[in-house]
Amino acid sequence: MDAYIVAMLVFAGVYALMALGLNVIWGLAGMVNLGLVGFFGLGAYATALLTKNFLWPMPMGWAAGAAVAALAGGLMALIVARLRGDYLAIVTLGFAEVIRLVASNEVWLTNGTDGISGIPGPWRGQVSPQEFNLIFLGLVWAAVGVAFILLARISHSPFGRVLRAVREDEDVAAVAGKPVLWFKIRAFALGAAVLGFAGALYAHYNAYIAPEGFAPLLTIYIVLALTAGGVGAMRGAIVGALLVVLLLEGTRFLAQVIPGVSPVQKAALREGIIALSLILLLRFRPQGLIPERTRTRAKEAS
Amino acid sequence: MTQFRMGRRAALFGAATLPLFAVGGRAFGQGAPVVLGALPPLTGAGGPYGPAMLRAIQGVVEEANAAGGIRGRQIRVVAEDDQTNPDAGVRGTRKLIDVDRVSAVLGTWASAVTTAVAPLCWENRVPLFTVSGADSITQLPHQGYIFRTQPNSQLQIRTGTDWLLAKGARRVFHLAAQSPFAQSSQEVMTQRMRAAGGQVTGFIVYERDKTNFRSEIDQVMRSRSDTIMLNGYLPDTTILLRELFRAGFDGRKFTFAYAAPASVFQSLPNEVTNGLITFQPSPDVDSGAFKRLQSRFGNTEVDPYSAQTHDHAALAILAAAQTGDASGTAIRDNVRKISQGGGEKVDNVTDGLRAIAAGRAINFEGASGPVDFEPSGDISGTKFRFEQAENGRYKVLEIA
Amino acid sequence: MIQDWRDLAQVLLNGVMAGSVLMLPAIGFNCIFAVLRYPNFAVAGYATVGGFAGWIANTQWGWPAGLALLAAFAVAGLTGLLAEETALKPLRPSGALTVAIASVALTLLLENAVRFAFGNDLRGYDLPVFRDWRFDGIRINPQQWYNTLYAAAAVAALFALLAFTRLGRAMRAVADNPQLADIKGVDPDRIACVAVLIGAGLAGIGGMLIGLDTSIDPLTGFRVVLSVFAAAVVGGLGSIPGAALGAMVVGIGEEMAGLLLEPAYRTVTAFLAILLVLSIRPEGLLGRRG
Repeated sequence: MDAYIVAMLVFAGVYALMALGLNVIWGLAGMVNLGLVGFFGLGAYATALLTKNFLWPMPMGWAAGAAVAALAGGLMALIVARLRGDYLAIVTLGFAEVIRLVASNEVWLTNGTDGISGIPGPWRGQVSPQEFNLIFLGLVWAAVGVAFILLARISHSPFGRVLRAVREDEDVAAVAGKPVLWFKIRAFALGAAVLGFAGALYAHYNAYIAPEGFAPLLTIYIVLALTAGGVGAMRGAIVGALLVVLLLEGTRFLAQVIPGVSPVQKAALREGIIALSLILLLRFRPQGLIPERTRTRAKEAS
Repeated sequence: MTQFRMGRRAALFGAATLPLFAVGGRAFGQGAPVVLGALPPLTGAGGPYGPAMLRAIQGVVEEANAAGGIRGRQIRVVAEDDQTNPDAGVRGTRKLIDVDRVSAVLGTWASAVTTAVAPLCWENRVPLFTVSGADSITQLPHQGYIFRTQPNSQLQIRTGTDWLLAKGARRVFHLAAQSPFAQSSQEVMTQRMRAAGGQVTGFIVYERDKTNFRSEIDQVMRSRSDTIMLNGYLPDTTILLRELFRAGFDGRKFTFAYAAPASVFQSLPNEVTNGLITFQPSPDVDSGAFKRLQSRFGNTEVDPYSAQTHDHAALAILAAAQTGDASGTAIRDNVRKISQGGGEKVDNVTDGLRAIAAGRAINFEGASGPVDFEPSGDISGTKFRFEQAENGRYKVLEIA
Repeated sequence: MIQDWRDLAQVLLNGVMAGSVLMLPAIGFNCIFAVLRYPNFAVAGYATVGGFAGWIANTQWGWPAGLALLAAFAVAGLTGLLAEETALKPLRPSGALTVAIASVALTLLLENAVRFAFGNDLRGYDLPVFRDWRFDGIRINPQQWYNTLYAAAAVAALFALLAFTRLGRAMRAVADNPQLADIKGVDPDRIACVAVLIGAGLAGIGGMLIGLDTSIDPLTGFRVVLSVFAAAVVGGLGSIPGAALGAMVVGIGEEMAGLLLEPAYRTVTAFLAILLVLSIRPEGLLGRRG
């Protein structure tokens, strides 16, 4: 049981990082990103290839994962910054699918649907599996802590305030002389970097990545995490990620005690409950469990 | 009689477990049930297969429990849905291993899920029985903890190609879903065909999730092939078969049995499926295993994956019964003792448990073949059954 | 790959067939968008629900395909209306994006409701499978041709509704300018209900057409959803003729991709079409700016 809880906390940490990354793009800059799993995947593949094939040290692989994702995020923002949110949702969703297809088909680079196995992990093999788990638990949550402090500071910096202004009303921000596009690109790149970094950590924890791991389902989980915690608030992203893992795992135990349904029906109930809880959260607590304190009054009234 | 057997069982139990307590294996109590974990795909792309795979496992476990369980211990199955997703698979496996303390994980389907959960299994000394086809799986450093009942894809495609050549196929079109073995299958096929004076007339890797493949079929028709090799899965193969019929393809249609299990007759009319040839690993046609399999399953469908998960459960149970120890390592070390060698041939878990209780050596022959394992964890010496669809049924052509 | 005009004609024809399957869900998507101004990702779920409703009508009750299409429309439309009223409508004050995200969850919920009721097995309609017609080497499948006709009929009915009825004029008025329509005494709530009913219903017919051509399972809608979005965006969000045109562009584009790129990259074509259109003409082929 201990090992299980530790492992799930590692997952929660990775999800928390992803939710933090999404929060920069969506929460601060107001650009929805339903392709976040694509940036996560880019980071994972970048570090996997560099540390396994070119024997880069792991921290450099992680940095590279973040950098590659940031680059892709910046480019994406450049293309889509002019678009309204609804277009953005579709474009980003499509982007993640393209990343998955490229990873499946460009066998020379990514090893295709076989995936990449044997990705090194810190001290993996030299310590017991449970010790490895604990090491990673520390690592992931340290990363969450650092990201949280950094992003919270950014969020309250002049840069963060401009982003909020852009989120609330782009035209007003532009009239005030702010280069809106440049702010959006930087916000998107920053958020993508955090997502890529999360992907990089994930690759080294699992030791294996494959295109199927970067399916839209994970995007839904992270959006759920951020919505549950409260879009815009950095603390909310972390609380939300913990809640999502609790929900994902708790439904396993719940499903076991439901009598009179087949295993497929249990599986359907599990996925259904997760979807339903997102809808209910949006309905009854749209501001999340930890609302953003800086949210403007005008927004609340509208 | 019963009492006598009980006595023997108890004696064996004592003898077998004493040394295990000494080396500190997982504690073995008479009352505690043995837990087997199942990780089939119940949602996602593997959804059409997972439910039947799980039913097969549960069927064997019920049968074993009715036969007295593993030396008196009942067996329990805990199933988790892998959602055909490595991430969900890893979380599910964590729960099976750390919370349910399963003795083995059975029935992983997608190669990506199997590869993702494999390190968890071997690090925690839990054997993993899988039906995944990617050749790379048994090349992992798994210390003997992986058992794969699906013949590796190279062997399958070699067997299939050679059989087609023997039947006179010279121009074969290869239509493959994007999978870990699409490319390697193509290489093996090309080399085999060329050596025998034939050729692979075309090779298309398609996107599995599409709902139409018209332009792909146009290419097949243009190639004037005498045979088409459909290297995909059930949803896409169903569409392709329909399109081939519509286009009037009159050559040989050949596919893996898992891509067109008997359930294909429910979603396609007979004129579309007639003539389709499938192949799958199989027990020998003369063996009792095959005859029993036929009579037991009768008209109800048994697809190759459920046949294999049936064998996964039987292997794990018999291996645990062999030593009287249900730890993962004990199962790993005893699978080969009960599945190969010169022992008495048994083809079901009831007979197997009875023979082990009587102290006889056994050689389990499963529903998916003789299930003998190489050191790598791949199966060896399996035969293949070729069947042809005829008016909504599969007829056995031959076992080779 | 393309050796003479027939090959090209065949690819174009295949594209039109593929496009006509995407057309109805794309129109449904745009129909909802035109009135309610949010992208409803749940069209994938509505398509699946429609496919299963039609399947029950056809195989369990013995209805012919044409009649079963009406069942698909009705059940998917009512499901859409129910979901809209209970789950999505209360979210409208929180903004279009919130509703869009809830609709993603809704589609997952519908997929699993179908899975709970019917399991994962593939199901085929009770229909004969026809051989292709051949015209000078070009092949057309009767079933796919009928499907194209069904789709065209549904579109024609929608256009007639919009052009010639009071309800249709009111819908167009709301789509053009909700405030103005409100002043003119059109009840926007009622129009929204009609738009959702029609939009989800058309998606349901689309799902059943996929089923007639192939077979259905809980993932039926999910498989085509990206191409449907692409069709809607390429045509112009909120534009109904645009969605029809966009579906053809995406359908033909995906079939061409099989020849130019690799078949494994067909979905990528849809995405490239989105990017291309958005960089050149962000409002889509037939959309209006705004």
